[in-house]
Parts: sequence; structure tokens; C-alpha cells
Amino acid sequence: MLRSSFAALWIVLCGPVSAQELTVATWGGAYEAAQRQAVFAPFTETTGRKVAAVQYDGTVAALRERGGPEGWDVIDMLADQARVACAEGLLLRLDAPSLVGRAAMEDFSPRASTRCAIPQNVYARVMAYDERAFPGIKPTRIRDFFDTAGFPGKRAIQRSPDGILEWALLAEGVPPEQVYGLLSTDRGLRLAFRTLDTIRADIIWWDDPAEPGQMLAERRAVMASGFNGRFFDMATRDAAPVNIVWDGRIIGTEVWAIPATTDRAQAARDFLAFALRPASMARFSELIPYGPTRKSAFAQIGLNPVTGVPMRVHLPNAPQHAGRALIRDSAWNAHTRDLRQRRFEAWLDQEE
Amino acid sequence: MSVAPHRKPARPVIRMIILTVTALCVGAAASFAAIIFVELVSGLNSALLVAPRSRVQWERLPWLIILATLLVPTLGGVIVGVVHRYLSPERRPLGPPDVIRAVQFHRPLPDTRSGIISTLTAILSLGTGASVGQYGPMVYLGALFGGAARRLRADVPNLDGIAMSCGVAAAIATAFNAPIAGLVFAHEVVLRHYSTQAFAPVTVASATGYVIANVIFERPALFLVEFPGVGHGYEFVLFAFLGLMVALAAIGFMLLVLACGPWMAGLIANPVLRPGVAGLAVGLTALALPDVLGIGTETLRFATIEGAFGQGELIVLILAKITLTALCIGAGFSGGVFSPALLIGSLIGALFWTLVSGAGGIPTSGVAVYAIGAMMAFASAVIGAPLTCILIVFELTRNYDITIAAMVAVVFSNLVSHRLFGRSLFDIQLARRGMDFSKGRDRAHLAELPVRDLLSADAVTMTPEDTPEDVAGRLLDRGWRQAFVLGAEGQLVGVYSPSEGQQPATLTFEDDTNLADAMERMRGFVGDAVPVVMREGGRYLGAVSEADMVSAWLDHVARIREEENAAL
Repeated sequence: MLRSSFAALWIVLCGPVSAQELTVATWGGAYEAAQRQAVFAPFTETTGRKVAAVQYDGTVAALRERGGPEGWDVIDMLADQARVACAEGLLLRLDAPSLVGRAAMEDFSPRASTRCAIPQNVYARVMAYDERAFPGIKPTRIRDFFDTAGFPGKRAIQRSPDGILEWALLAEGVPPEQVYGLLSTDRGLRLAFRTLDTIRADIIWWDDPAEPGQMLAERRAVMASGFNGRFFDMATRDAAPVNIVWDGRIIGTEVWAIPATTDRAQAARDFLAFALRPASMARFSELIPYGPTRKSAFAQIGLNPVTGVPMRVHLPNAPQHAGRALIRDSAWNAHTRDLRQRRFEAWLDQEE
Repeated sequence: MSVAPHRKPARPVIRMIILTVTALCVGAAASFAAIIFVELVSGLNSALLVAPRSRVQWERLPWLIILATLLVPTLGGVIVGVVHRYLSPERRPLGPPDVIRAVQFHRPLPDTRSGIISTLTAILSLGTGASVGQYGPMVYLGALFGGAARRLRADVPNLDGIAMSCGVAAAIATAFNAPIAGLVFAHEVVLRHYSTQAFAPVTVASATGYVIANVIFERPALFLVEFPGVGHGYEFVLFAFLGLMVALAAIGFMLLVLACGPWMAGLIANPVLRPGVAGLAVGLTALALPDVLGIGTETLRFATIEGAFGQGELIVLILAKITLTALCIGAGFSGGVFSPALLIGSLIGALFWTLVSGAGGIPTSGVAVYAIGAMMAFASAVIGAPLTCILIVFELTRNYDITIAAMVAVVFSNLVSHRLFGRSLFDIQLARRGMDFSKGRDRAHLAELPVRDLLSADAVTMTPEDTPEDVAGRLLDRGWRQAFVLGAEGQLVGVYSPSEGQQPATLTFEDDTNLADAMERMRGFVGDAVPVVMREGGRYLGAVSEADMVSAWLDHVARIREEENAAL
């Protein structure tokens, strides 16, 4: 009797657990903490399946090398990386309508799902400024980033062609829909670098995404390009009066995908279906300023449970933001990476 | 011209239902077709490395880009040439002039097969980067759907003309995302009158096109610009001056387009090869100036950005685009002139701005308003539709200040080009085919009716051998006062009347004289009837009585008046 109960307990505790535990590869840090609280824990609560998170650096190489041996079942990726991984056959094909329901497909914005990936949240590369530097007239548009006469001071920019070329054209009045088309021409690139020339003397470069906020706080720069989450963090911790200008925000997409090596594909699909519910997205966006990819999730986003900050206004794709939004084109970015890098380095070399 | 007897029209309620349903169906079909057209062209542009976004993907393989630049337009041209030669009964691309002709003279469009072939070759021409426009073929495609209404045989006056205009309006409304411009274009260029009977269905079709483009497919406005307003009052004088300058360039462009066809025909005897040669010219030019390839959406935007082009670069690009467009159209590529006109105009505007603000040192409100003003001024001179162009600026840019500025440039350009050249390229092309609208629709209609169709069967003829009594008897029988004296070969010798004897004819018409000319020449004529003779040899064909001419003239004027004032 005792032996049989013990055996039953053993089965309950061990057997199912090892079969049900789901390994999710994600980014770590505050991002992962928010995911644990908003998605992983409620998922375990509803289905009884435990979720183990592993951290990776977001590259396709990591998926290729570690995905199989470490038994990854679900992966959180940037949309362009997912595109590459999908083309290499590293991801399972997904049937989005069967996962989230056919009616929900219209709800996804700004990006629809692709063959192997479904958008889960959006972030933005935005322009931010130090409130103390401009007590009077404040910068409001991306053009002001390039206006060193009206808004003097250093600009913190990532030492990479990502984002800044797009901004240079947006500053020239090009509508977001045409930015990538124009940047595909030699004339467009020349024009962008010419705009960049006008602030050459006022640039300080950063490499680590944590730096631009820091540079604003330490008054090494008056304006910066960076990611909205970092600036939000800086402002809510009261480290510095940093303000975000939403005009010209470049919206990027994070996706969920399933590595091809998983042996728990059905469980992984169940997880995706749960994580892609508007309620899951809304819980996540209450914790960290990454926007939901479903329009219906916005209505459910309230206050941050810890700080009490109303979160909707801090999300990059919040419907109330004015100004222009450029939806990052991951395919274009993947195709032109080398060209832009080469031109960027050539431009840097002109300096000397 | 429809000389079919006037049937009794259906009851107003039935007519209203027929017109509304026709407008909805034709509008929806034309709109979907226009969207498919645009998508196919952009798909081809991407696949064939014409679009910058697809070219940039392959920038690591420069030889592939060079090869594609040279081969794609050349082969595209060869295919277009072969298809026109062997598959199309008309053997040529069809466009707005054919639609205007069909609507104005109540004739059917050229056969449907030629129309479909022309649309397909237009997709191919645009897809392979030929320097032609997309709106002409889309207008034709829209009219093609409207033309099908002719088969309905419904008893609604002018139904086919209205249905074709509906198709045209919906195509423009969809393509430009500009329903008001679509509506006005159909009236200004195709229908050429404003009657409630036509206005209402065309509006319905235009709105249908807008709903499909905007609500169902959510296509963005094509040409959003940031423009805070015109900074200086004197700039309006500059806009007017710009309009005058642009008109001269537009006239040059149109003359070149008209001259290129015969010139190419003289140069290359085989019509199959002509588009291929023009395509090669485009490819060779594009190696140095990729901006000339295709529709040039990117180039159009660059023209509104300060300093995107150097002054010399602008001049070279303007000349290249003018020459290549004329060459492509003259060679028989299927496509319109509107998109190239927009591009050339905007580049001229940018050049004008560079000269005024750079060399002239005059403070201005930026290049964008000059580029857009010149763009529309050039286009309006070419298509002869100032109102449409003003409204297109408004709907494309959604900017009131720019529209006001562009309006000034547009009217001045139209003034000059209408005076020096003609109302539009289409009108001149039609005039060269014998349909001259420069003196109004009624005159053009009358000019389409040859007097030889009005010959009286019972006119009295005689030979010099006939006796006066015999002739007098015959005249009395038929109630005529004059007989026409014929020579041995049947040629007209003179006019005989019992009271005055034989006289030389004071007025004769030739076999190709039309009613409009005839009415002009009748001024001061006294007599029963005018003899009609062959222009070659002077053989007598018959006589047309004054009464018949006047009633034909009255019938036509009445028909036009009815059409122009029809309420339903």
C-alpha cells in the first residue's frame, strides 16, 4: 500500500514534470523577469506545465549551436533573425490562424505573422532629450535632432548605421512609407550621410544600449537615440529628467518561434497560443514598456503593479502617440546590412 | 457616330437603377483591376531588379545589376513588340485617345482582345522599366469594363459613354487614391460636358473606387508632404512664371513624343524591333542614371528634397527622361505619358528653385512647393486637365497651401500650352487622326459626318444631249429646280435650270467633305442642292439638298444638347 502510494507520488512528481517542462530561450534581465511574471507563471498555473527560461544573445548562431543540445522548445527572437533562421530551416512552420484563431489574425498590428514566427511585442528606437538642457522650447520632431542651431549640444548615437540613416531622411520630410525605398538608392544614402554631416561635430557614439540614457543623465549629451525601454527606466527611476520624442520612432518587432529541434512541439504551440492572448500581452506591457502586437490588448493595459505608473502612454505603438512611426523592415535590414556598414565606415573615415 | 434611330428611353426609375448598378459594377471592377495592375507592375519591378529595393539586395554582384539593367528593358521591349505584332488585331497600344474617341462619337472601343493585349503589354512595359506611365493604360482598362455595358442594350441614352467614364473615374480614383480627381478627370478629359445624368453615376463609380482602395485595401495617400505654407507673397509671381516656363518644356516634350513615332518608323522598318531598341536605350542610360528606369517613385520624392540633385545632374536627368519617354512611346511600348510628365515636371521645378534661390538669391519657402507646382503644371499641359491636376495635388498631398500654389502654376502653364500647342497631347493625337475638338464637341461631331451620307436619291442629272423639255419635265416630276449636267465620263460639267440655262456650279462638295465644313461653305449659297464630286477626277456622286443638311445639323445639335442637359 505504502509502496504503491509512493510509486504514484513518484510518477506524479517526476515523470510528468520532466515531460511537461518547457524550455524557453529569451533575453534575460528585466525583460525576462517581466515575461516570467506576466506569461510563464500564469501559463504554469493554467496548464500545470512548468517553464524553464534559458538566456541567449539573440543570434541565429546561438540557436543553431545550442537549440538542439539544450532542448529549446520556444524561442523569443527579433523579427529579422527569425526570418534568417526560418530560411535556414531552424524553425518549425507555424499555422498562425490555428494557434490564435482565424478571427484574431486581423488584430495583429503593425506586423502580421510570417511563416515561422508570430509577433509578440514591439520596441522602438526613439529620440530622447534631457529636460534640463531645453527648459524653454523643446524638441518635438526628428528634424530637431539634426538642428544644432535651434537645439545646441551633443547627440548620443549608436556607432552603427542602424536607425540614424532612416532618421536623416525622415528629417528631410520623407514619409515613413518611402524611407526604405529611398535608402535603397545611392542618392538616398548620399542624402542621408549629407544630413549626418551637419551634426558630425556634435556626435558622441555609444555601443551598449545602456549608454545613451547614462550620457543624458551625466549631461554628456543633450539628445540621444536609444531604445524606449531604457529611457523609460531612466526616467522612472528618477535618475534623470529624460523625455522621449515619439516622432520618427522606429518600431521593431519581437516574435515567438519554435525551434525545429523541439520534441514537445504540441506543448510549445500551446504555450504560444497562451502567450499570444491579449491578456498575456497586456500583463507583460504593464511591467515593461514594450507594446502588445494585438490591437485589442491595449484596452486591458493598466497601471504598473509596482510603481503605479499608467503604462499605456509609454508603449511605442500606443495609439495616442502623434508623429510619424517607421515600421522597421527586417527583410530590408537583413539585405542591406553590409552595404550600410561599408558606407557608414567610409563616412566615419572621412572624419580623419 | 450613332446614326441608329432614337429608341424610346426606359422609364426614369428603371434608368436610375440601370445607371446606378452599372456605376457600382464598373467602378468596382475597374478599381480591383487597377489594384491588380499596380501590384503586378510592382511585383515585376521587384523580381526583375528594376525597383531600387530589389537592386540594393544584389549590390554585391555588380555584374548582375548591369546585366539586368541592360537586358530587362531590352527583352521587355522585344516581347512587347512581338505580342503587339502577332497577337493584337490593332497592332498598337491603346490609350486615353481611344477612350475619348469612343465616348465622344458613341462608338465601341477597339476590339476587346486588343484592349486586353494592350493592358498586358503595359504591365510588361512598366514592369521591365520602360520610361512610360501607368495611368494611361489604367484609364483604358477602366474604360474597357465600362465598354462592356454596351452589350446590355438597355434603353438608357448615352449609357456606354457614361459607363466608360465610370470605369475611367474609378481607375483614377483608385490609382491616385483621389476620388474627386477621378470624377473631374472623367468629365474634363473623357466626357467633356457636365450633365447630371453622367455626373451622378461617375461620382458613384469614383466613390466605389475610393472605398475599395481605402477601406478595403488601406492604401496610403501617394505623396504626403510637409509644407507649412508659402512664406512670401511674391512667390506667387514665381509660381506663375514657373508655369509659363514649364509650359514651354511641356510643348517641347509633346512635340518630341509626336515626332518620335514617325522617326522610329523611318529608322527601323520592322515594328517588332522598335521597342527593343528603345528598351536598350533606357538600359544604357540607366547604367549611369538609374533614376530613368520605370515609374520613378523614388526620383519623384527626391525632387522635393533640397540638394538631392546637383544643378547639372538635374538638367541631364530632365533631358534624358524627356528623350527616353518620347522614344519609348514612339517605339511602341505600351504606356502613358502622365507619370513621366509628373517626374519631368517635378525635376524642372527643382531646377527652377535651384536657379531662383541659389543663383537668384531670392528667399523662398523651399523646393517642395516648386517641384510639386511644376509637376502638376507640366502634367496638366500634357493631359489638358487643369482642374483634375489641381485636385490631384490636393488629394495626393492633403495639403491646402501647396494646392493653392500649384493652382497658379497649373493655370499659367495651361494658358500657354493651349494657346501655342493645343488643349492636350490626346487632342492633338486625335486631331491628327481627323477628330478635331479644338472648336468644340458639336463641331467635332459634325466633322465626323461626311456629306456623301446625305445624298438625295432623286436629284436630277442630265447630259448635254438631253432636250430642255425633257429635263424640265423630270424636274417638275421630282419637284427640283436644278439639274446637274454630266459629261461623257460622268464628271460634273455644270448646273442647269430652265430659267437660267446651264451655268458652272457655284459650289461643289468633294467626297470627303464633312458636314461642319459644308455648313461653313454654304454661307451665301443660293440653290436647291449642292453637287458632290470625287476629289480625284471630278466624277459626279450625287447631290445633297440644303434641307437635308440643315435637318442633319439640327439633329446633331439637338442630340448633343439633350446629352449635355440630361437630368437622368
